Amino acid sequence: MVASIEQLVYKPYYTEHRANRVDAPAQGYNEDAMQGLQAEMIRSELEEVVGTPHLSTDDTDLLVYATDWFWLPQMWLDRGKTPKKPDFIVRPNSAEQVSKVLQIANTYRIPVIPWGGGSGSQGGALSTFGGIILDTKRMNRIIEIDERSLTVTAQAGINGTQLEWAINERGLMLPHYPASANCATLGGYLAPRGTGTISTKYGKAEDLVLRMQVVLPDGHILRTPIVPQHAAGPDFYRLFLGSEGTFGVITEATMQLDYLPEVRLLRAVLFDNLSEALEAGRQIMTRRLEPFVIRLYDPRSTASRVRKILGYELEGAYMVIGFDGDRDLASLQERKAMEIIGHFGAKDLGREPGESWWKHRYDFYYPPQSLKLPWMYGTTETITTYDKIEKLYYAEKRAVEESFQDWDIDFIGHFSHWFHWGVMVYTRFIIKNPPEDPHEAVRLHNRVWNVAMTAVLENGGMVNEHHGVGLKLSRFMRRQYGDAWPLLERIKKALDPNGIMNPGKVGFGL
Amino acid sequence: MSQEAISNCRYCLMCRHVAPVGHITSNETLTPHGIALMVASQRRGLLKWNTSTLRVLYAEPDAGLCRAHCVTDQRLPAAIAAVRAEIAARGLAPDTVVRLHHRLLRTGSAFGERVHQTHTHTSELALFAGDEAHNLWPESITAARLLLEACSTSAALVGAGASNGYLACSIGFPATARKNFRACVEEARDASVTQLLVLSPADLFTFRQMGPERLGVIWPADIVLTDFATFLARRIQDGTLQLRAGAGDAAYVDPTHAVRASERFNPIRSLATTVLGQAPRELFWRRERAHPVGSTAVQFTRPDIAEALTRARLEDAKATGAGSVLCEDPATLVQLTRFAPDYGLKVQGLFEALAALIRP
Repeated sequence: MVASIEQLVYKPYYTEHRANRVDAPAQGYNEDAMQGLQAEMIRSELEEVVGTPHLSTDDTDLLVYATDWFWLPQMWLDRGKTPKKPDFIVRPNSAEQVSKVLQIANTYRIPVIPWGGGSGSQGGALSTFGGIILDTKRMNRIIEIDERSLTVTAQAGINGTQLEWAINERGLMLPHYPASANCATLGGYLAPRGTGTISTKYGKAEDLVLRMQVVLPDGHILRTPIVPQHAAGPDFYRLFLGSEGTFGVITEATMQLDYLPEVRLLRAVLFDNLSEALEAGRQIMTRRLEPFVIRLYDPRSTASRVRKILGYELEGAYMVIGFDGDRDLASLQERKAMEIIGHFGAKDLGREPGESWWKHRYDFYYPPQSLKLPWMYGTTETITTYDKIEKLYYAEKRAVEESFQDWDIDFIGHFSHWFHWGVMVYTRFIIKNPPEDPHEAVRLHNRVWNVAMTAVLENGGMVNEHHGVGLKLSRFMRRQYGDAWPLLERIKKALDPNGIMNPGKVGFGL
Repeated sequence: MSQEAISNCRYCLMCRHVAPVGHITSNETLTPHGIALMVASQRRGLLKWNTSTLRVLYAEPDAGLCRAHCVTDQRLPAAIAAVRAEIAARGLAPDTVVRLHHRLLRTGSAFGERVHQTHTHTSELALFAGDEAHNLWPESITAARLLLEACSTSAALVGAGASNGYLACSIGFPATARKNFRACVEEARDASVTQLLVLSPADLFTFRQMGPERLGVIWPADIVLTDFATFLARRIQDGTLQLRAGAGDAAYVDPTHAVRASERFNPIRSLATTVLGQAPRELFWRRERAHPVGSTAVQFTRPDIAEALTRARLEDAKATGAGSVLCEDPATLVQLTRFAPDYGLKVQGLFEALAALIRP
């Protein structure tokens, strides 16, 4: 039965020629091409898998799921236009149900877009070509908390804060504190290689995962080896980290936990200039003093931040630094770091501003304090090694400010995820009076990104450090990877020959 | 105000972790963000009010979790009530809502008949009985009066069978809500009340916050509103109320609207500890993150959602290992009792359990 329907559905809309090209994504059905019968066939098969209450083709649902946290579709909706909507929304509750949904999608060659919290800023959850939104949030069980090995195993659709609450009740924490924790899912932490506020000590989400269960595009369910550090072959599990649903669906993960710290010692300091502050941060990291956070604001951000927090005007580079764990050890680490900071003549502003930052660190995400429409904004964050980071930052800033000075563009940044070898700069542009015409706004938006990413790539940066690629940065992936890109394409084609998985994202299907 | 919250919340996801209906359905649409985006999209001509959109609009339980966790205090529940008022004014409200409103208009109660009392005696202290307690869980009133007697306190009973206005407001009929609210004030005034004890966080929220914020009516300053649980906890603490030692093992279920009266969290637990002789077992969804049961308007507008909310509370209680649950709020107790047998749980009213400990 399926084979004959496949012919009916597939042939008129998606040619054999396109199906064999990895860069030709599967397309969602549309009423004209597929007629009602085929749509009902797909619907009934999906319904059989997930159950009637967990499948929707309701207009309201389709519209709500038509946008994630990417500025473009939000702006599009805001101006009274509808982004491409999905055709179906399904909410499976197990890897087995996910597997069956993917098998149906392969049969009909329709896209599947995994959906966690819908909090991604890169358009990674957009149904660009229609298809099936696979909402993972019903997969929200904690399977095991192992208090001896300090791990938690949970289904991928569990909400980040809810997971953290459950772990906190055992005196433990999952040391991944992204601003999106209240809305993001565990799978959403991993799929775009997310980074949280305390990553400087504890690592990115990808560094905390021991094991995953993944459903491949053909419906095969696999588990990665029990631990990541071994010498029994390559780390293939990392393929799924950063794949953003293009290589399969993460349905379960075992994550490393830590004890809740006895203390978190925070303070703020003010450097005369950004160069000295970056060098102080580098020395603190390369001497492995293990701050859980270093948040260094560029002079433009410093001016507004210091005025807001301390109530007076200061020039320079404002840094919040924190150490956690056992009190004596954290105090010692803080003292050593302050010695380094002191060598640069930075002014110690004390604990209060540091503690206030920690307490209010996510307040900025609540409207109306958050960036909001009709403004145009985007976070062009990037990462590179210490030897390049300052040059990269200024090159990007100069390129964006000079190219869009007619739009009175604001370009600010802070350095907030530090490694032994380099640091991420969280740069952001804001245009408070973008074009009213949505088409014109899209074009301006993309021009800003083109200029910013060109500067990043020309100065040795990555197009992204932790928000992921999504649809937004897809077009830069070939340039980012150069000679290595065909390898990724071959992997994609081997795993997903029909191109059903999240087409248009991470550079695939464009 | 309502426009502002809709606009601010339509792309904000920061209360997702506490949103009860989003949690039980895993449906993006049934979250504060989803509902706000739906309303904003309707206003932009992208959606129409129809059966589908109205089902979403009336699925929001108006329990206050989103606002309680909002750093910028967005009043989305009030905004949604205002949208429902627009719907009602345009004659688009679902039949269930219209019927419920007629009942509130006719009887002043959603569950029975309001008792129009002529106060033969006046009292400075009074107990507000309300709608649910009077009609659905009268034993809580009996227990409350026994406890007041044990405190050597005389209190009049007001508002027996009376809706406080919350329900009418929540489903989009603010004029009726004002009428309900004012009737409660007038009855308290008739009885010369200077301090009114309320049994539930719903009454506390309605009289002190919802009235001024949503209805433009203010509870009179010369009638002090007092939470009955807090009142009792103080009487036990100062020795005015002496009870026998209790013993037992139960989970405490924070009632619907608990997050709207967070100052009750500790007093109510001290009462539960008195009843049990030990601290009650705690649910995962407790205190500032306490989810509601289906005791708000959703029991009429979306019984499926109401049942799922209640069952989620019972599953949470069951997971604590308790064999019974304690709660003080009549409306919550009624809902818990409906499905508790499915979970092998017994439901006990906290005030009744306290009254059973009164020394003879």
